[in-house]
Amino acid sequence: MTMVRRVLSLTSGRIAVVILTLIALLAVLGPLLAPQNPLATSDNTLAAASGSHWLGTDYLGRDTFSRLLDGSRVSVLGSLEVAVMALVVGAIPGILSVYLGRTFEWLTLRLADTLVALPFLLFAVAVIALLGNGITQAMLVTGALVSPLFYRVARAATLAVARSPYVEAALVAGASTGWIVRRHVWVKVLPPIAVALAQTIGVGFIIVSSLTFLGIGVQPPAPTWGGLLASDLGYLSYQPWAPLAPAVLIMITVWASNLLADAIRDVSGEAGRAFVNTRKARANRLGKPDPVSTGGA
Amino acid sequence: MTTEQTQGQRSAEAGADGRAVLEVTGLDVHYGPRRQRRRALHDVSLSVAPGETVGIIGETGSGKSTFARTVLGLVRASAGRIVIGGEDVGAYGSRQWRRLRRRGVVQYVFQDPLRSLDPDLTVEESLIEPLLIQGVARQEAADRARTFLARVQLSEELLDRLPGELSGGQRQRVAVARALVTEPKLVILDEPVSALDSANRVQILQILKDLRAAGVALVFISHDLGSVAGVADRIAVLYQGELVEVGAARDVITDPRHVYTRLLVGSAPTLRSASADRAERDRLRALLHA
Repeated sequence: MTMVRRVLSLTSGRIAVVILTLIALLAVLGPLLAPQNPLATSDNTLAAASGSHWLGTDYLGRDTFSRLLDGSRVSVLGSLEVAVMALVVGAIPGILSVYLGRTFEWLTLRLADTLVALPFLLFAVAVIALLGNGITQAMLVTGALVSPLFYRVARAATLAVARSPYVEAALVAGASTGWIVRRHVWVKVLPPIAVALAQTIGVGFIIVSSLTFLGIGVQPPAPTWGGLLASDLGYLSYQPWAPLAPAVLIMITVWASNLLADAIRDVSGEAGRAFVNTRKARANRLGKPDPVSTGGA
Repeated sequence: MTTEQTQGQRSAEAGADGRAVLEVTGLDVHYGPRRQRRRALHDVSLSVAPGETVGIIGETGSGKSTFARTVLGLVRASAGRIVIGGEDVGAYGSRQWRRLRRRGVVQYVFQDPLRSLDPDLTVEESLIEPLLIQGVARQEAADRARTFLARVQLSEELLDRLPGELSGGQRQRVAVARALVTEPKLVILDEPVSALDSANRVQILQILKDLRAAGVALVFISHDLGSVAGVADRIAVLYQGELVEVGAARDVITDPRHVYTRLLVGSAPTLRSASADRAERDRLRALLHA
């Protein structure tokens, strides 16, 4: 909770939280708010924005605004699934690899190396063939392939603190591995992971649309933000403004994620705490009158 | 040198009374994989009686910190016996070590006061941590932290501060207070004053003297004979991983038997009115390396 309060004490943190809350609301309510059936085609293809079609129509005459709203849920959830999967499969073993002995360390390191070496599309197609086609399966595959980044980041950050005297002091006091990770390690690992997470959320949108193009994950004609962007790009000469709406939505989401990650990094660690303390001290000083000069040299 | 060493080697058990807080016998420690094994400690025997202060001195790399870390279970011994508070910890696994440590019988004060406190935790959070690990309620732990902060002559105002906002001396006193909150029977201090200026050094040494008066056994590790001399009841001298001399502090300083101890005493001009001159030190150094 302290971390949430500290993030909210920063303007950038507040902006990021507001934007991400709106995006989350859009993901939950978006499909319900769509004014028209997002899948219904019409003869009115590639129409400009108008009263009945606020963002125009696409090459099959479907209402772009409705498709954008309808696609929010699957796009946002897809990205989140990738991020959560990468976090669980990557960051947690990355931290534990430092503590759970050499066998676990060796196995997870080799697994991470293997995942890095696997060709993304081939692996995705193979897993989909094995587990069946669906957005969850596609996102799990993507998450697994992104996880080595989280594994390495979390492991490096953990290694930096694992042998530090304050961790040994906790060990001498009888702390368990769980206690040490919760109290000393997690706070140091969180900022670099938050930055990696923000990047992954952005990459997630693009991956969802890439996989859709291959017929994996979200099945056409179901809309996604990335899918809308990809299909609109083919009709740029007719509708140069069309990719703008999905692009702006993706951009804002990724930007807000990065902003939040930066805010987490800024308020974490000693520098972050000092930064927040300085702000508090400044605020306190502003509330008090200036000290009166007593004169002298 | 062998003869000198034999002559200089006083009884390792001097001062022990059978109820030792710490009893180390024939301790061997090696570092590195099998082929590149490097000996860090060899046949070290030492016991610390309740309320006794034992100073361990030696140059960098002599095995002082390794001794402390082995006693605390942070480094595994190759051979030997370690008994802490009557418990033989030689065959202890990680779970048994944790159980022993949670009782707070032995505590450790690290050399580097900046790195021994978590930079993200306030002074209060650092102080109450050993108590929370023991399962003490937060409020009670906080109350006890205040008591011990006063005992190391620090103001309660510092409780909300981060280590980065404290001076080196204040940090080391917080580290000492953290080691004391569990009311241990034995505190091992690894070079507790070597990173401090003389004013803070005097303050820490005074705290250690108060602790000794309160009946806490101390193992004071230092490379500086001068710091140890004023506090220790007995002094043990480590040289290249071996305990070359153990004896009452006064005896070791006034009548050092081993060449290395003589060199150490001779290099500390404030300890004796007639300290060894440069020529004498050179002679001893040549004898030591012979």
